Amino acid sequence: MRGWIAITRRELAGLFVGPLAWALLFIAVLLQGWLFVLYLKTSGGDVDLALRWTLGESWVFWALLILVPPLLTMRMISEESRTGILEFLLTAPVSDAAVVLGKFTAAVVFLGLLWSTAFLYGLAVSSLGIAPDWGALAGGWLGAVLCSALFSAIGLCASAMTSTPIVAAFGAIVLNLVFVTAPLLAGLSDQTWVRAAVARVDVIDHHKGSFLAGVLDTSYVAFFAAWTAFFVFVAVRAVEARRWR
Amino acid sequence: MISVSHLTRTFGSLRALDDVSFEVAKGEVVGFLGPNGAGKTTAMRILTGYLPASSGTVRVAGFDVLRESLEVRRRIGYLPESVPLYREHRVVEMLEFQARLHAIPRRERASRIDEALEQVGLTDRRRDLVGNLSRGLRQRAGLAVALLPRPEVLILDEPTSGLDPMQRLEVRGLIQALRDRHTVLLSSHILPEIEAVCPRVVIVHKGRIAADGTPAELVAKLAGASHIRLEAVVGADPAVALRMLRSIRGVRDVVDHGRLGIHHQFDLACDEDLREDVGAIAASRGWALRELSWRRPTLEQIFARIATGASDEVEKPARAPAPAGDPASVPIALGGLPPASAATAHASSAPASTASAPATRVVYNLNPFDRGATRSLSVPKVVEDPNAPPPSTADTGPNAGGAPRP
Repeated sequence: MRGWIAITRRELAGLFVGPLAWALLFIAVLLQGWLFVLYLKTSGGDVDLALRWTLGESWVFWALLILVPPLLTMRMISEESRTGILEFLLTAPVSDAAVVLGKFTAAVVFLGLLWSTAFLYGLAVSSLGIAPDWGALAGGWLGAVLCSALFSAIGLCASAMTSTPIVAAFGAIVLNLVFVTAPLLAGLSDQTWVRAAVARVDVIDHHKGSFLAGVLDTSYVAFFAAWTAFFVFVAVRAVEARRWR
Repeated sequence: MISVSHLTRTFGSLRALDDVSFEVAKGEVVGFLGPNGAGKTTAMRILTGYLPASSGTVRVAGFDVLRESLEVRRRIGYLPESVPLYREHRVVEMLEFQARLHAIPRRERASRIDEALEQVGLTDRRRDLVGNLSRGLRQRAGLAVALLPRPEVLILDEPTSGLDPMQRLEVRGLIQALRDRHTVLLSSHILPEIEAVCPRVVIVHKGRIAADGTPAELVAKLAGASHIRLEAVVGADPAVALRMLRSIRGVRDVVDHGRLGIHHQFDLACDEDLREDVGAIAASRGWALRELSWRRPTLEQIFARIATGASDEVEKPARAPAPAGDPASVPIALGGLPPASAATAHASSAPASTASAPATRVVYNLNPFDRGATRSLSVPKVVEDPNAPPPSTADTGPNAGGAPRP
């Protein structure tokens, strides 16, 4: 796919040139670091439990996942359509899919970097003489990255559908909330088919049930890949639809 | 190189382009001219593959823009009006990005970027942030980005909009330098620009091609005749002069615009420059000339006619309402004027002060330095106001010396 990597590189450079990426990284790392210490204290020194909390067991993780990807992706298409740069990209010899995938990859790489701070905690703990469960840590990280990919795809999708970054961020956050809270709401229903349907979109359960336990189950990878591909596809179509407006 | 046939594009109920067809040969420089909203940008966006056409076919370099879009995009350098560049990047980074998008081999990149920067004269600003560049420099950076892949076709949408006159000249020079290497299609609503740069002009109006040809052709085809303006003292009987002027070979018609002070004004409709013949008659008859000029309708007038749909703007440019500062346009008569026109003559000379002054009789002032001013006989002539501007205003101000003062 020509231009994919060029656009990813450009997006990452654009992210780190601006203050937003650094601010998000700073807040996330500070919060996660402080919380990790807190988790260690409350778990009575159980390192693996604390790491699990950091990468998915706590509500802070999901709050970050709901908020950070939309903030990252909100500008990627909507602002470019307003400044006209999208016109430049869509008349460059790269396909629309490459443009969207390039931006998507950049968002995922950034979020992967953000979650990889968990490895720092692992290193810090192991330097103190307690070996963490590296497999579970890597699995939790991969799960976090896959969740981020899904939410980035949702964010890009929202960004492709509007010309205002704030609207894009808001729309994506709402959609993310629906994704995350659907199982909670389904729990209120006693209809089994509702629960079964919602279980198909239960991101939290898919993350906790496999990756966080250190199990790499392809069906769980496929769950994330399918939903992510769906939203990327919708985003590509939304970019194409801009031409017809 | 570019072949457009029966191109139509609608936005909802609006027909932005309506059955547009034209061809651009390799190496041609074509200017798209039209008022804002005529469909220029839409046409260019379709050519670059950014917008799909509602119907019709567009081929660039032999490729269909819809079906072989990537092939077309590889061959087109497009600079949209908004000059889309990432503000947070340096000029050279922007060029590197473009080089990667166009898959320019890594070892060629540096030299190609240098070449593009050299072409637009930005070599010393390569490390500047795009967001910090002035409008003109940003335009040039955008041009460098468009030129980097060495496109066969260069499409420039309003390349000089928002620039000051100096920057405009620079960009114009740049485009002229590009003529040898690329087929250029540019749009503008500024006529002198198009005339200066493009040997061929396509006038677009309301989504249709209103005219297509060289500026000279368009002038000849659309405007009909040019004319000669003669202002001279032709003696007591202008009918004699009129007859003589009509007898000149090549003159199709002579319009007598009447007296302007002691001079008489004629417009001779003719296709070629007959000033020599008119001058010869004037010399033989001893007419004192004030003006003898050949007036061709400009592209601007043709454009205005197409754009507004008004037909007489080009046919009779002389009768267009003259600015107040032109003394020749103020009708003057010995003995008496119709009150209304006398009032306008006054109003144009000293607006506030004479609005209420009685203007019954107007006399021509024979003082040659008064430039044919009018003065009411009922008002005594006033000597120069000591506070008045220096005498040089007699050249610029209307009727400076003879203006009646209450």
